[in-house]
Amino acid sequence: MAISTATKAATDALAANPAPVSVGAQEVHRWMQSFTWDFDKNRTKYSTKYKMANDTKEQFKLIAKEYARMESVKDERQFGSLQDVLTRVDAANRVHPKWNESMKVISNFLEVGEYNAIAATGMLWDSATAPEQKNGYLGQVLDEIRHTNQCAYINYYFAKQGQDAAGHNDARRTRAIGPLWKGMKRVFSDGFISGDAVECSINLQLVGEACFTNPLIVAVTEWASANGDEMTPTVFLSIETDELRHMANGYQTVVSIANDEAASKYLNTDLNNAFWTQQKYFTPVLGMMFEYGSHFKVEPWVKTWNRWVYEDWGGIWIGRLGKYGVESPRSLRDAKKDAYWAHHDLFLIAYALWPTGFFRLSLPTQEEAEWYEANYPGWYDMYGKVYDEWRARGCEDPSSGFLPIQWFIENNHPIYIDRVSQVPFCPSYCKGESTLRVLEYNGKKHSFSDQWGERMWLSEPERYECQNIFEQYEGRELSEVIAEGFGVRSDGKTLISQPHTNKDGKLWTLDDIKKINCVFSDPLKAL
Amino acid sequence: MSIEVNGGRRGLTDPEIAAVIMAAVPDKPLETQRKMNYFMKPRGKRINEYEVLCCYSQPTPDWIPGGLDWGDWTQKFHGGRPSWSNESTEMRSSDWLAHRDPAFRWHALYVKDKAEEWRYTDRFLKAYSADGHVRSIDPVWRDEVLGDYLGAFGFYEYGLFNSHSSVVRDCLGDTLRMSSAMIGLDKVDNAQMIQAERTFLSKLVPGFPESTDIPKQEWTKGAIFKGARELVQDIWQATYDWNEILFSGHMICDPIFGQFVRREFFMRLSSYYGDNLTPFFINQMQLYFSQTKGITTDMFHTCLGADVEFGDYNNRLMRAWANKWLPRTVNALKDFMAIYATIPEIKGVSDKAAIEAALVRVFADWKRDFADPINYKVDTAALVKTVLSGLK
Repeated sequence: MAISTATKAATDALAANPAPVSVGAQEVHRWMQSFTWDFDKNRTKYSTKYKMANDTKEQFKLIAKEYARMESVKDERQFGSLQDVLTRVDAANRVHPKWNESMKVISNFLEVGEYNAIAATGMLWDSATAPEQKNGYLGQVLDEIRHTNQCAYINYYFAKQGQDAAGHNDARRTRAIGPLWKGMKRVFSDGFISGDAVECSINLQLVGEACFTNPLIVAVTEWASANGDEMTPTVFLSIETDELRHMANGYQTVVSIANDEAASKYLNTDLNNAFWTQQKYFTPVLGMMFEYGSHFKVEPWVKTWNRWVYEDWGGIWIGRLGKYGVESPRSLRDAKKDAYWAHHDLFLIAYALWPTGFFRLSLPTQEEAEWYEANYPGWYDMYGKVYDEWRARGCEDPSSGFLPIQWFIENNHPIYIDRVSQVPFCPSYCKGESTLRVLEYNGKKHSFSDQWGERMWLSEPERYECQNIFEQYEGRELSEVIAEGFGVRSDGKTLISQPHTNKDGKLWTLDDIKKINCVFSDPLKAL
Repeated sequence: MSIEVNGGRRGLTDPEIAAVIMAAVPDKPLETQRKMNYFMKPRGKRINEYEVLCCYSQPTPDWIPGGLDWGDWTQKFHGGRPSWSNESTEMRSSDWLAHRDPAFRWHALYVKDKAEEWRYTDRFLKAYSADGHVRSIDPVWRDEVLGDYLGAFGFYEYGLFNSHSSVVRDCLGDTLRMSSAMIGLDKVDNAQMIQAERTFLSKLVPGFPESTDIPKQEWTKGAIFKGARELVQDIWQATYDWNEILFSGHMICDPIFGQFVRREFFMRLSSYYGDNLTPFFINQMQLYFSQTKGITTDMFHTCLGADVEFGDYNNRLMRAWANKWLPRTVNALKDFMAIYATIPEIKGVSDKAAIEAALVRVFADWKRDFADPINYKVDTAALVKTVLSGLK
């Protein structure tokens, strides 16, 4: 057949310049925005009151194969470190026991957030109309799978190599027993996936990732390292490299709705609700995990919080979005108050309910107590003396017959669960901002600990109906609940959770709990 | 020593801190069960790393079969719709967490494979260009088929890619969710590879259009892809049941239409028209097809079709879905037959007999791998005849 003009031109070009040619990722990506087409049924399956613009771009311009190359390089470094040098130096057995326990919770709970973020960004991928914006969310879908696997790898590694595998090896089954779990689901699970798609993006990307992943994923590495844990920095800092793209996705979400009229009406309310939702759990829980879940301290949580949440996020990051009408949340001021005492309040309750955990908790040692008092003046009078009393009554000793929850009952300090955040609180014994509010709806009582959650519930009570552990287990004896939730070690009788990490301390068993005959009751019924 | 550590001191390497830590570490491990997820039932003899890292990461309550959690959702959609619910699909399962990727690929293994493919693609393209292979491509094949129709086929892959978004949001299992995201990414990778090939050709062949304008015109307005476009649009946006999306896309549409277009048209014919570039890319797509087939047959045959409690019902439902989607897929293929009128005929390669043989292969494969396992009765000869009626 006759040679075409183009073929001849190609032949001539080759003769003139036979240099190898390939195609770069950016050369492909620049056509992405034209990959879609209009058709009648083309609309999202997840409604949003906002309209996302058709021409929104993504900041990180990746194609599938280039994404894979980049992640693969990071994986090689990360798993190389874990499987080679850290294993050879027996690093998992050179971690402080208190921190070993903290990582049972931190890694598994972060995994929950990462896992649900897969679904959340799937929803955003569906909701966005611009192919580049879809592509940005798609990259995040894959990242979240990566992070789910990475968080699991931490527990997997500690279980396989470390000093106490119980809890690391079955967190996905035993995590549901205790009082911290439902709150985790609110912020890291349902808060990301159930609601207006943009509202979910605000929860996930604008607050969860841009605000709280800094302390959760970055600051945690300093605490880990101080306590001998080099596995967590290896993995979490690799996770954080992806989080930058996720924050960019959140930024682009706001950009995509900036010109929409709905944004001026709703965006700041949605942001305020999202911020309060996220901080209500993370402010106390992260502070508790860092300070009470470690022996060596990096700095007081309130300082970390102030730097990452108040200044960096509330000031700089939200400030950058100011040109799109975004304002710092009105609830930021109340959150700042919580950053000082809320984690101390929470630990008091968490320790009192220690048998429902999947990790060991420890009371502060003398030198730790001094550190708390030095950094939080007034700590001893409120908390330290209670811990001294509990210790004196033998709370760490299985033969004592004393569980700290008894102290709350004896002193008439009922523990409630906030219906919206699912975070436990004790209004009659706390230094944080919690105050008891009780409302009735559909024949059921609901407790709340702050005005912001109460407002959310008042406007949409049907979104927050989840029962709490006191309602779920009411009338059930504690050891029965623990056994049903698989809260025992492989010998079938010793609890996974323990009230100490002393190497020579005795371990509690189901029988020790049973003897105490502790029965769950719903405090709302007494009102 | 002070317990406040700053200045970057590390517990693993700082002798003073390390001594305190080592004094606190138990003399022997407190627990002998070191296998994570030891409580689960593995697919093989032992729990593998994929199962450790993926299984039960989904925190669903036990009223979604397979879930380990209890109670209600802590936040619901406006109006009270639950985060995830059994009602999101007509399929029924006694364990939504039972699916396994047969290749047991978790994220790291998945991206490792694709990263290698990308590096190899780069090396191949450099060698291909330096060797001057492009000179041998038939101009009609190159300019019309690769320029217009392969480009248009990219929209098919892109549309199917997008059909995975709501699946990734709505499906009820962790391994299902991860697999769905990965097979979705493979689809957009296919679309991007098609554009990569066109961009590459535009660098080598002066005047070859890199733009997506003409392919998009062909896809949205042309007759050749009319049936395919309507089919993809409905899978992507008109179908809400996440299982039906996966079933229609990966058990009907792609094994028939996609397979024919990729394997029997572009890949088989390309070498006859002097094109050994396209098979390089199509082969990668066929690898993804094969991996996806393993995944979706595990979902629909190994898990749902063989479910002890709901298997019969699920197979009946799959047959009903096949009745719905097969005629539309056949129609898409019938429309596609018009493409043969645009290329120079080669006897025994692109004539009617060769086309019929190709169709027989595709439908026979589909019957064996997808229809027979759900006991779906199909007259493949009649389907082939219907498709052939579209030849111009």
